[in-house]
Amino acid sequence: MKKLLYLSFLITIGLAAKSQNPTFSPATFTAEDQVTLTFDVTGSGMAGATEAYIWLWGNAGDSPLNTSWTNSPAAAKMTAAGTNKWSFTFTATVLYGLPPAALQNFNFLVKKKDGSAQTSNQGPFAFDPLVFVPSMLRIFPAKVGADDVVTVNFDRTYAVSTDEQRMTPTTTTITMFDDLGAVVGAPLTVAVTKAADTRWVKSFIPSLTFTPAAGRKLTKFKYKFNGTLLDPSGATITVTSSETEVTFTTMQ
Amino acid sequence: MKIVLKTGLLLLAVGMLLTACQPVEHKEIGTPRNILASLEGTWKLTKATQVDEDAARKGFPFKELNITSLYPYTDFVLKLNLTSGAPGTFTTTPGGSPKIIKLLSGNWSVDNAEYPKNITLTNGASTEVTTLGGYPVGASNTLKLKVERKDAASGKVLISYSYEFAKQ
Repeated sequence: MKKLLYLSFLITIGLAAKSQNPTFSPATFTAEDQVTLTFDVTGSGMAGATEAYIWLWGNAGDSPLNTSWTNSPAAAKMTAAGTNKWSFTFTATVLYGLPPAALQNFNFLVKKKDGSAQTSNQGPFAFDPLVFVPSMLRIFPAKVGADDVVTVNFDRTYAVSTDEQRMTPTTTTITMFDDLGAVVGAPLTVAVTKAADTRWVKSFIPSLTFTPAAGRKLTKFKYKFNGTLLDPSGATITVTSSETEVTFTTMQ
Repeated sequence: MKIVLKTGLLLLAVGMLLTACQPVEHKEIGTPRNILASLEGTWKLTKATQVDEDAARKGFPFKELNITSLYPYTDFVLKLNLTSGAPGTFTTTPGGSPKIIKLLSGNWSVDNAEYPKNITLTNGASTEVTTLGGYPVGASNTLKLKVERKDAASGKVLISYSYEFAKQ
């Protein structure tokens, strides 16, 4: 039993470590922002390499740095950032020579100049949108910490399924998770209010509503809206929207 | 004839310039406003607003939300005391309101005594900084404080909360 617990602990630590690799500075960025990615290649084919080159692609296709797999250009050379760590700084719109609207995400891998060794593919990583993209489920503000007032929105205008297009939301169900991925308390189902013709909302402060176990912290939540609609026979039936997940931003 | 006309016009222009340049008498502007004194007192929260600063920067449609009625924000009371005309102690009484300022008591200071922009609240090693959004002087009887929430990784301001207080 002890061994099992120890193994679980190691797996958890491993997953936590993996989730922080690569890192980005700043943590959130648009296609117009300069961003530095840092990647730890320990355990990959690039471990111990003395030079590293980036191979980068995304929804807009290969970056102009991907000239030749067997002969990466000097512009693709990465900067040493510690033992087995390499960083690369770029601004997507400058790198691609494209407007931000054309750039949604990117992937990358780290390789040797001649392509004789490489890491696995990393990504896709999304650029923050520069234009507002309406959606059925949305939170306000778009990025929140666990101590902020969070408002979950259901906008029927942007519903996709027929049930969602016809439903009248009455409640929302919020499920909170801690940093180990465990559900915090019981999922909360609370009444929503109508904020506009086709929009229903509920506001809450996560840290006031959910209390994590000692030593744990709130990291993300999922929410969905529940409501009613009339079936073809005129009877009222209960329906539920799709569910979406929100990860808290660490605030200072 | 032309020379006489030109000379006349020139003399007229010079004369107008000389007579136009009269010293202006300014009235006394009075004693400077004492901003610190205006901050002293018991302040009760009347309005709370949440702003998605990232959405505001990008011109997105949903930027601001009045959150006053979502929780009992209007219970919150802030008391600022002066000691010999300088910032002294403070207390906060949240009542049923979320703790918009986490510190319950301590000392407060300002970045500039004449024209303060930031109020720093301190209790031991704990510090909270709020920005003054407006001085409660003259016709205004409202103290406006702004608290910014920044992304810990990038330092970018993502959310701000604006609080308006009325003097009790």
